[in-house]
Amino acid sequence: MNPQVIVGQAAFVNPVLAASGTFEFGLKFPSVSNRLGGVVTKAITLQPRVGNPPPRIFEFPGGILNSVGLENPGVERFCADVVPRTAKLRCRVVVNIAGFTVEEYGELAARLDSESVDALEVNVSCPNVKEGGALFGQQPQVVESITALVRKRTTKTIIVKLTANFVDPVETAKAAEAAGADGVTLINTLFGLVLDGDGRPFLGGRTGGVSGPALKPFALFCVDRVAAAVKIPIIGCGGVMDAADALDFLSAGARMVQVGTANLVNPEATLEVWAGLKAYAQKNRLSNWDQIVGRARRQS
Amino acid sequence: MKPTRCKVTDARELCAGVYSMWLEAPDIARRVRPGQFLNVKVSSGLDPLLRRPISVCDVERNRVRLVFRVVGRGTAQLSRARVGDELDVMGPLGRPALELRGEEVLFCGGGIGAAPLLFLARRLKQANRLEILLGARTKAELLLVKEFRALGARVAIATDDGSAGFHGMVTELAEEEAKSQKPKAKSQSAGRWLAVSGERPAVFACGPRPMLADLVKRLDPIPVWGFVEERMGCGTGICYCCALPKKGGGHVRFCEEGPVVRLNEVVL
Repeated sequence: MNPQVIVGQAAFVNPVLAASGTFEFGLKFPSVSNRLGGVVTKAITLQPRVGNPPPRIFEFPGGILNSVGLENPGVERFCADVVPRTAKLRCRVVVNIAGFTVEEYGELAARLDSESVDALEVNVSCPNVKEGGALFGQQPQVVESITALVRKRTTKTIIVKLTANFVDPVETAKAAEAAGADGVTLINTLFGLVLDGDGRPFLGGRTGGVSGPALKPFALFCVDRVAAAVKIPIIGCGGVMDAADALDFLSAGARMVQVGTANLVNPEATLEVWAGLKAYAQKNRLSNWDQIVGRARRQS
Repeated sequence: MKPTRCKVTDARELCAGVYSMWLEAPDIARRVRPGQFLNVKVSSGLDPLLRRPISVCDVERNRVRLVFRVVGRGTAQLSRARVGDELDVMGPLGRPALELRGEEVLFCGGGIGAAPLLFLARRLKQANRLEILLGARTKAELLLVKEFRALGARVAIATDDGSAGFHGMVTELAEEEAKSQKPKAKSQSAGRWLAVSGERPAVFACGPRPMLADLVKRLDPIPVWGFVEERMGCGTGICYCCALPKKGGGHVRFCEEGPVVRLNEVVL
């Protein structure tokens, strides 16, 4: 079978991506990156950011919370220092961009338009910043304005990464689609709070984003719902730990999957997911992914 | 980097809540250098999910030794591993501690902090003069004293309750030791970080945060290189979760830039 997946103008050799913030820029493990559909970079902002104070991570039975707070070198240094190296990767490179105003998304898109990257993932869902982030992603009109502005400023493939925090992603996914998005990623981490036992917030950023296995049922629910409402490709994300999880996301209607938290446990987790998917496709003699994408709805 | 499976060849409790474990790991034993750590999966399933970073305490032929204290669910589970069990291990990770030659090197370990210093001391003993200070709350909690003595270095002990050695904190001992050192010509320092003081011993420390902060204050302006402990996500530099604030702003990712960092430059 041909395992390729096309989103906008970007052709991914297989449906497995490393999720933003969990694989840095794909450069630490190039032999892994090179065998994936693509890597999504850490979020890039216009200005450099030092991120949140520690602690930035907490583990609970079911997953983790993080509050990194978009630590990144800023778009200029990213273009100067990182892009020349990611351009040498054999996989597609998707740059996750995060703005603190609607206009900033436009500036980021324009700045990256001439760079050798393959797609932009518009992050309207970061839970760990005080302005922008998930607050934008909760408002369909704002998602629409941001997507429309990014569309105007770049010819690159646009994927909008949506939040499911206090919003129906069906509404925001439709808004993104209407404004010209080529695909949507869902879901980003969910809001979470951890206390230290003495009543004080544990994480340095006070609250965090929940990820890992605990997220999967809700993420699948969201993918299933949104798949019935939009035509653009969905990239499923949330608790993909192995190939069986990835298969569930495809069955629920996603065309691709992102592996996130699992990379922290095993930097080769994405490869294991891809190997498992490939084995499934071979065993079941699939001729293309369409045979299984969204089958959960067809079978209900 | 692929995780590898390592067989436990020895497992014992050293004192209440502190465990020693030897793992058969030829590849790691060959490559690991002092300062580096292993990231150990303590369960085969999804809970606990993350690996636990543990500094290498010693190396012997094709085996590596981990000495750790039980601080939570993960380390509690690890402490239940038995001889013959296999652990899923990643490593060696982190940046090796700098190599030294012809220096006077002071080691200051508090509690479980003695563990990573042993491997470093073993590697540095041939080309340097070592002074080893070990502290604990009480005599029963002193760790690895025999191993340090076997290196042939001078070992001084401090306990909070006076049950062994100096009655007081190990940082007090370190302060006295540093003051008693004879000034040494700048040109003789081999390590470039010594240029700051230029005339003092190199200091390596590991222990609880308050101890490290106290040591830095007492020895100022002598630079102190410390093994830092903090919650870690990936251990490989990809998640940015193990951030330590730098005094001038920004963070050190100590899974990658550490775990041995210059303590004078970070906020403890």
